[in-house]
Amino acid sequence: MSDTALIETIGVKKAYGDFVALDGVSLAVAAGETVAIVGPNGAGKTTLVNVLTGLLKPTEGVVRFKGEDIAGIGPVLLAQRGMARAFQLVHIFPALTVAETIAVAVVSHERQSLRVVASLGKNRALWQRVRDVAAIFGLDGKLDSTARLLSQGEKKLLDIASAFALVPEVILLDEPTSGVSSGDKHAIMRTLVDAAQRAGVKAILLVEHDMDLVAEYSTRIVALQGGKVLADRAPDAFFADPEIVAAIVGKRVGRLAAGHTAGRAP
Amino acid sequence: MKDAPGRVLLVGVAIVVVALAAFPKVASPYYTTLVLPAFGYAIALLGFNLLFGFTGLLSFGHALFVAIGAYSAAVLTGKLGVKSFEAIVLVAGIVAVIAALPVALLAVRYVRIFFGILTLAFGMLFHSFLFKFYNLTGGDTGMRVLRPTLFGTDFKELDKTTFLIGPYYYECLALLVVLAFAMWRIVHSPFGLHLAAIRENPRKAEYLGVRVHRFRLLAFLISAFYGAVGGAILGVNIGQADPELAYWTHSGELVFMTVLGGFASFFGPLLGAFTFIFLKSELMGATEYWRFFLGVTLAVIVIAFPRGLMGLASDAWTKAVRR
Amino acid sequence: MTSFFDVLIGGVFHASVLFLVAAGLQLVFGVQRIVNLACGSFYALGAYFGISAVGWATAGGLPTWTFLPVLIVSGLVLGVVGLPIERLLRTVYKRDEAFQLLLTFALVLMFQDVLRFFWGANPKQLGNLSMSYGKVALGDVSLPTYNVLVMLASVAIAVSLGWFLQRTRHGRILRATAENREMAAALGADVRRIYASVFTLGTVLGTVGGALVVPTAAASLDMPVELVVEAFAVVVIGGLGSMRGALVGALVVGLTRAAAISFYAELEVLAIYLIVIVVLVARPAGLFGKPVE
Repeated sequence: MSDTALIETIGVKKAYGDFVALDGVSLAVAAGETVAIVGPNGAGKTTLVNVLTGLLKPTEGVVRFKGEDIAGIGPVLLAQRGMARAFQLVHIFPALTVAETIAVAVVSHERQSLRVVASLGKNRALWQRVRDVAAIFGLDGKLDSTARLLSQGEKKLLDIASAFALVPEVILLDEPTSGVSSGDKHAIMRTLVDAAQRAGVKAILLVEHDMDLVAEYSTRIVALQGGKVLADRAPDAFFADPEIVAAIVGKRVGRLAAGHTAGRAP
Repeated sequence: MKDAPGRVLLVGVAIVVVALAAFPKVASPYYTTLVLPAFGYAIALLGFNLLFGFTGLLSFGHALFVAIGAYSAAVLTGKLGVKSFEAIVLVAGIVAVIAALPVALLAVRYVRIFFGILTLAFGMLFHSFLFKFYNLTGGDTGMRVLRPTLFGTDFKELDKTTFLIGPYYYECLALLVVLAFAMWRIVHSPFGLHLAAIRENPRKAEYLGVRVHRFRLLAFLISAFYGAVGGAILGVNIGQADPELAYWTHSGELVFMTVLGGFASFFGPLLGAFTFIFLKSELMGATEYWRFFLGVTLAVIVIAFPRGLMGLASDAWTKAVRR
Repeated sequence: MTSFFDVLIGGVFHASVLFLVAAGLQLVFGVQRIVNLACGSFYALGAYFGISAVGWATAGGLPTWTFLPVLIVSGLVLGVVGLPIERLLRTVYKRDEAFQLLLTFALVLMFQDVLRFFWGANPKQLGNLSMSYGKVALGDVSLPTYNVLVMLASVAIAVSLGWFLQRTRHGRILRATAENREMAAALGADVRRIYASVFTLGTVLGTVGGALVVPTAAASLDMPVELVVEAFAVVVIGGLGSMRGALVGALVVGLTRAAAISFYAELEVLAIYLIVIVVLVARPAGLFGKPVE
């Protein structure tokens, strides 16, 4: 695989007894890419993501981040090495404020967590960083709001903002726009991509069902089916192939509709 | 973030400290002697609540460390001839931290109810050790704790009560203020923020790089230190280290006091310690069935006032400020 | 050889009674996710009330040999105490487990004085009533018949509990509610009634256990708090929520205690807790429990 790959898997297989969730998946993500992972439910997306983020040890094969093996290292070490993950289901710290939530990540990033008696409040640099991150996501007006009182959309933004505050080199977004109304989806994706650039994130991995977003924002699409990589190509090439689109999007775009890409021309 | 104590808070704390300092001068010796265990419990609870209120781990074995504190005081004064109170307090704390290490390593792998049961088990393990090994620990009669020296000064000329409500009282008050200040700094530090994150959502905390297991362990060790310091104060006060200090119901009382005062507040456990000591004393004087009424009090708090006295106070304050 | 056998029987007898209390704990935890610190209080209540019941029965003219059925009936009847207590616990079902635990601790405190109020501070006992059934011979050794009856009763209860949970509709609903409360409710289970009945069943197991033990041991005000310690050792070793765990855990604890008492008395509770720690290091969820984190 390529030497410039930031994150890569080589021949990863994950089996649970007889059930094979991933069957020889190889992919690589280099700096500057936004790779979308798509596929029907049960195709192995979640398993792949869990392997990529060090939660699961593959039964066979290698998973590397920045050249180092990360099989099963767990979320804490992963965050320290520079990969962040935001979830589909919103995770918040209910009683902490927006500012405090983002501060948790900043403290981690700056390796300050063992400062047991240092004053948090007086650390101006820290709170400035918190404000900066919040501003990117439009949350700077809500810094003192308690997380549990935010709207669903704001909670989502906060979840992602806190992941960005880790200043990760790679960020993995797990259905970042799920539960968001279609009008807002594009706005959120734009904010995310923008924030990623400003935060210095080098690559984005995106698990998404909404093919419009995938078409518009990804530089490469990896399609999974039945634990195997069905396709790994740029959006143009992806959507030009009706069989692949059908396999991913579902039977409604069947063999009868050859050449018809369900209006998803980029 | 509300860490820089507001002016109001500082003034309030100052008033309380001054009031406590003046207390022995204005109140009867009986009530003053009640404040001493309250000091001990207040310190022990500061540690307990770091684990419970701030990190979200309910230990039903915190009395283990209180007992270690008292027995350390007994061994140091009685068997090893070490009379310096300052040394006693420090050594008790260190012994507790060392004892806490294996307990914590095992217990922080669990959360919630399992953590509570495990800590209960360890507390009872220590209790049975104290109770049964008569030759080492004095069995059910316990061990005597001799009067220590305060900053090298031996107050031989004072009788026990005068010593306790005099110089000893003031040193314990000072110790409480110092340790409370240290705990305030801990809670409002980056470490404290990570502990709060662990309490709120351990999984998300992991993804934000918070070392959940390690920090729970650290919080446990700090709480052990505080517990033992409180226990040493109690031991000197009573003059005896008793195995019942380690019994699980004593751990239950520690939880009771914390929830009574308010576990979600920094000062709650302190208020809880003082209130509980006085409440228990009054009840014991009033009826043979004081345990029943203590139980009813706890039930009422749990059902109706879960945020405890500080919660009530803060609600009242909010209402007053709104006008 | 007799001494070894005495230890064995003593241990199994103690295990039989412990099993009943532990089974009650497991049921309540399994279905309601509540750890009931007051389980020892129910046990003590059953013991004290059993003694009184036998006293009334004898005073009322019943022959001495009826003490066993009297004890069993009194234990069963007393279980009704579980109903108002469950109602009280209902006020904190939706809250954090810490509060549920604390409320059961409040009950422990209250029960202490309730017991003291009705029966006084001194221990009570039934004399040597357990011997009045004589002994039964098994090969070379003879055992008190009473102990054998209690062990058999405990086995019978274990078997019927198992049958109830596995084979009856009601039992299946209970297990479903234990697995997934919301799903069970969505499927029409009346969760409120289930909770009330489970808690009462748990209480009954405790009170019957206490009643059965009094012919061989005194009832004292230490009982409630001391039993909690052993009962918790049982459920931790066996695994929280598991009935099989209650059985195996009870045997481990009962036999360990009997062995420790006869060989090195100081080690009694220590030995039990050392086993607890060893089991937890090797199998964090207990022998039959489901791993939770």
